[in-house]
Amino acid sequence: MTAPPGRRTRKRATDPIRFEVIRNALTQATEEMAIALRRSAYSTNVKTRQDFSCAFFDRDLRVIAQAFTQPVHLGSFVEHVPRAVRRFGIDKFGPGDMVLSNDPYGGGVHLNDITLIGAVHWQGQLVGYTACLAHHVDVGGGAPASVGAFQEVFQEGVIIPAVRLVRAGKIVDDVFRLVLAQIRSKRETAGDFRAQVASNVTGAKRVCELIDRYGLPEFERYVNEIVEYTRRRTRSELKKLPPGTYEAEGFVDNDGFTDEVVRLKVKVTVDASGVVFDTTGSARQRRAPVNSTFAQTFSACAYALRALMDKDLPVNAGFYEFVKVIAPPGSVTNAVHPAPVVGGWETHVRVNDLIFKALSAALPDAICAGTKAMQCHAGFGGIQAEGDYYCFLETLAGGYGARSRKDGPDAVQSHGQNTENAPVEETETNYPVRILRYELVADSEGPGRQRGGLGLRRDYQFPGETTFTVLADRDRAGPHGLFGGLPGSVSSYVFNPDTSSARALGSKSTLQLQPGDVISYRTSGGGGFYPPEKRDPELVSIDVRDGKVSAARARSVYRVITDSTGKVDAAATARLRKSGRRARGQDA
Amino acid sequence: MLVNEETGGIEIVKVPSTPSDPSGGFVEATLRILKRSDVTPGQLAFVVHGTTVATNSIIEGKVARTGFVTTDGFRDMLEIARQIRPSLYDLQFDKPPPLVPRYLCFGVPERLDARGKVLKELDEERVREVARELGRQKVESIAVCLLHSYVNPAHEARIKQILQEELGDISLSISSELAPEFREYFRASTTVVNAAIRPVVARYLQGIEKRLRAEELTAELLVMQSNGGVLTFEAAAERPVFMVESGPAAGVIAASYLAASLGHKDAISFDMGGTTAKVGLVQDGRARITRDYEVGAAARAGTGSARGSGYPIRTPVIDLVEIGAGGGSIAWVDSGGVLRVGPHSAGADPGPACYGQGGKEPTITDANLVLGRLNPDYFLGGEVKLHVELARAAIENRCARPLGIDVLQAANGIIEIANSAMVNALRLISVQRGYDPRDFALIGFGGAGPVHANRLAAENDIPTTIIPMSPGITCAMGLLVTDLQHDYSATLLRRADAVEPARIEEHFKRLEASGRAALKRDGVPASGMKFLRLIDMRYVGQSYELPVPLASGAFGATRLDKAVSDFHAAHERAYGHAAPAEPVEIVNLRLTSLGAIQRPTLREIPNQPGASPATALKGTRQVYFAESGGMVKASVYDRYRLVAGAVLKGPAIVEEMDSTTVIHPGYQGSVDRFGNIVLTRGRSR
Repeated sequence: MTAPPGRRTRKRATDPIRFEVIRNALTQATEEMAIALRRSAYSTNVKTRQDFSCAFFDRDLRVIAQAFTQPVHLGSFVEHVPRAVRRFGIDKFGPGDMVLSNDPYGGGVHLNDITLIGAVHWQGQLVGYTACLAHHVDVGGGAPASVGAFQEVFQEGVIIPAVRLVRAGKIVDDVFRLVLAQIRSKRETAGDFRAQVASNVTGAKRVCELIDRYGLPEFERYVNEIVEYTRRRTRSELKKLPPGTYEAEGFVDNDGFTDEVVRLKVKVTVDASGVVFDTTGSARQRRAPVNSTFAQTFSACAYALRALMDKDLPVNAGFYEFVKVIAPPGSVTNAVHPAPVVGGWETHVRVNDLIFKALSAALPDAICAGTKAMQCHAGFGGIQAEGDYYCFLETLAGGYGARSRKDGPDAVQSHGQNTENAPVEETETNYPVRILRYELVADSEGPGRQRGGLGLRRDYQFPGETTFTVLADRDRAGPHGLFGGLPGSVSSYVFNPDTSSARALGSKSTLQLQPGDVISYRTSGGGGFYPPEKRDPELVSIDVRDGKVSAARARSVYRVITDSTGKVDAAATARLRKSGRRARGQDA
Repeated sequence: MLVNEETGGIEIVKVPSTPSDPSGGFVEATLRILKRSDVTPGQLAFVVHGTTVATNSIIEGKVARTGFVTTDGFRDMLEIARQIRPSLYDLQFDKPPPLVPRYLCFGVPERLDARGKVLKELDEERVREVARELGRQKVESIAVCLLHSYVNPAHEARIKQILQEELGDISLSISSELAPEFREYFRASTTVVNAAIRPVVARYLQGIEKRLRAEELTAELLVMQSNGGVLTFEAAAERPVFMVESGPAAGVIAASYLAASLGHKDAISFDMGGTTAKVGLVQDGRARITRDYEVGAAARAGTGSARGSGYPIRTPVIDLVEIGAGGGSIAWVDSGGVLRVGPHSAGADPGPACYGQGGKEPTITDANLVLGRLNPDYFLGGEVKLHVELARAAIENRCARPLGIDVLQAANGIIEIANSAMVNALRLISVQRGYDPRDFALIGFGGAGPVHANRLAAENDIPTTIIPMSPGITCAMGLLVTDLQHDYSATLLRRADAVEPARIEEHFKRLEASGRAALKRDGVPASGMKFLRLIDMRYVGQSYELPVPLASGAFGATRLDKAVSDFHAAHERAYGHAAPAEPVEIVNLRLTSLGAIQRPTLREIPNQPGASPATALKGTRQVYFAESGGMVKASVYDRYRLVAGAVLKGPAIVEEMDSTTVIHPGYQGSVDRFGNIVLTRGRSR
């Protein structure tokens, strides 16, 4: 299986045309799964924010095709789906059966991310699996939306260890009711589960149509070729990366119970046979929401490697096999039972930032400076007037890290996370909350010749009693700058801002709110690239004009002097910049 | 294109576009066609224009200096947009820059709740200050979008008044007038796109009008909108966001007209030109509409555009799946040793290798030429001489040799891969939206559409394929067979079991009054007006609505029940499941008001049942068909000499000035009285 399709060296030549046709059709099948899920889902988190992913696995449980939604999930799928299927028992999968799993220690991630795996049978024969993961807005546990500073996994919600939710195309009512009984927002969650079922049904139908057309042996031959093709291209991409060992250290700011930083360490070893990501030296797991499962750490590493390769490379098992992860069990990068896992994605995405930091000297033009690099959850819920329990969850964007030739964009998600914002009007229509402001935070960027993006502010006010959880980070240190660029601003989470009762909240805390209370998020800006006094004064002037950077900051940090209209005073700027680099970064 | 309503005669003129003064090209073509047809400007009844001026001004960043006014605390709505990155694994991505720079975005104190109740009164003094500041900043156009204005437009209306008082007749775009639908960023983006292109489009249309009027042309001037209807120049200049997809819409409209004239209510339009292929869907005689569209979005190879790469608009746009597979699309072998086609195009310069203009990259046109499907001496009626040897060399060098296969196999591979991309596009527009393509007729047009249509139909088991006369100008034809159209909507957001049907009727009546007034202004008599009603519904808690058409007549309890049951059925069709026990919510009420304009009658060709096609036979040539295992002899016909009633057996090629129809082995083409070739599977091979 080493020859490329079309070469005559193979006994039976692969038809390069048929190859491309089948590959496109399989990707299309997963895209159709994604659309079916999104369009029929109920929760804002799934339908609007698109916090879900879909993929097709072959009979050998290798991922073959995936829809482009949330990379974090896709990376963790590779670990979770095979383990869940094997644990359930391959031979127990009948036609039309689907298995539900969110077990973090069975290859899963945090409990909210529930995967539904459907067996694909063609003429009675098992030919593969479709899998779709949705982040459910609530899975029970200690606080609405199932986010919070919990100390063991049992406080986090319902643990589903690969059980059959659908038998022969029909939802197994006993199981469904048992799962729903643990969950606060039953109607929404039930709707989202049904949408997951619809997604798998759609995927299986498409795959079967393809097999109808080409026959099973031919289909499987080309599935192999699809993996082989990616393997071949990944190998040639690996040759373009500079061999060597690169290291970086960083931390999650605190764990929600102690103020002690959670140390993270990554060592990246690149050679032509693959890339080894070693997190040895990272902190021991905590009884706090900072533990990542192995699947989550794997996902961070896979994302990082993929981001360094040709944008056109299709990701499947032929790529993932080059991602080698060493994560010591019992550490925050590979937690063991019964550590809580709800904050695992916070650690995961910070590992991602560190990988790019480690590679910055070797690949300065390929990477970015520090990004928001936290999920930044806002979760809340309460009992509505009609007696229903509602739950809401969203994650907020922050500034992106600057690149060697481009500023970091303002207010976007980072790395494997690409969920949309919840529209204010939709949120206020469906949930008892009012959004008071949603805007960029001026002066939050990490200054640099290329500056980081701005963070954002979002304030929530509640007309009734509400339980609110902040599950985030970055309130001690902002995203790192590179090569003389300065860090982005720290985040803050404020209770009743601009009042006498205002106080800063911990980045991992749950509160009981009274009617009228306000919670304000201000997220980090991205880190800068190269020294800010090297920034083109005209670009500084545009930021001043736009109110993104204050004139005072332009002067003290960028050493650019602007007049009252924001225009650059070229002579004064030249003098200031010449006078040396004093006191730079004083307010960064 | 000029249609003579008395004779049914059609005249066509093509002129090169004039980028420095785009309206010049249109005026020039209009005058030239009149001259050639011996028609005086005063004799024209109406002129319909399809244009990309709206889209181009966004793509090229040539938009008006625009201001944005919104609720205090939300001025960064455009900057933040959806907080997503348009490409997932790209650390060097760009977020599209807002159409209004931040210093021209203003928040004004005011606030409504989700039901439209005023929580904070509008601070009119602050609005005046903002107005004066916008005046000092010399903006040409202003967009206004406040939170929850779709339920209660009062504050927006008041801001409009104040802006007019302070700034005179500046161009204003108000979200509650343009697209009163919830989800603020999308409504704001629609409003801002409208504001930013309005002065540009108005100048453009006024330029045309002035020049045509100077030539004593008195005809009504109309422009095609993205929804397939036409608007008067005046109305279009006010709501240009409705015409961003003006050009491609015409093709689907033409397809629906052709299909209807042949008794097909359901059709798939397949329009393939030089750089892209576009697939649209006609259901029950009407083009399918979407409201999920981004202007200026980056195209993605297989599955439409990349989310978050453009500017979303929520106006009705004809639902098209457009892919980068046209005659000029380049075939290449990627670093994994696999043959790929598109999305890069050789464009007009250098064009395909066979043009002999220095192009070295093989294209779809080169592959069709090598396979014998195109005639090197009769491309564009012989205007362009094609060089087979150059096409062969390009395919040999760039595809066949790297893959270790022969040139014919490679050329066929290029076509098969392009076809597979088109099959995916066709599935996206049909299967994915819950329709079975086998229930539709395929209408193939554009210069390259008829070359590929038969194969596409075969791949999808589509029983009937129609190739219109002069496929290269079918799109233009669409401009002349449509209606005046004004769309209105209102957001209701009420559960179906808790709404008074009479209230819905009231809403519709109000929308209808607006439509009636607009059509009256367009000069349509009451007898020529038609109103279509639609309700967007979803299950309570869902976020995506499905449109459910209503039968005409007053809305009562029975209509409501019927609409709800139609919704369950539509949900089942679209997503494969329905939940009849779940409560249903009515989101939007929509009204389409149509004003009939006179349509040209299609010209008939000589009719001779059972006629032999022999009189049109030009000869035979070797053409490659994979299903025949290689080159086979195919008859070549001259389309202009075919008479109605003739039946052409595949393999066959039909040549005309602007296109070539390929009839595959096992298929046959019947010529109907309008000269259309109707392709069906032959009874026996």
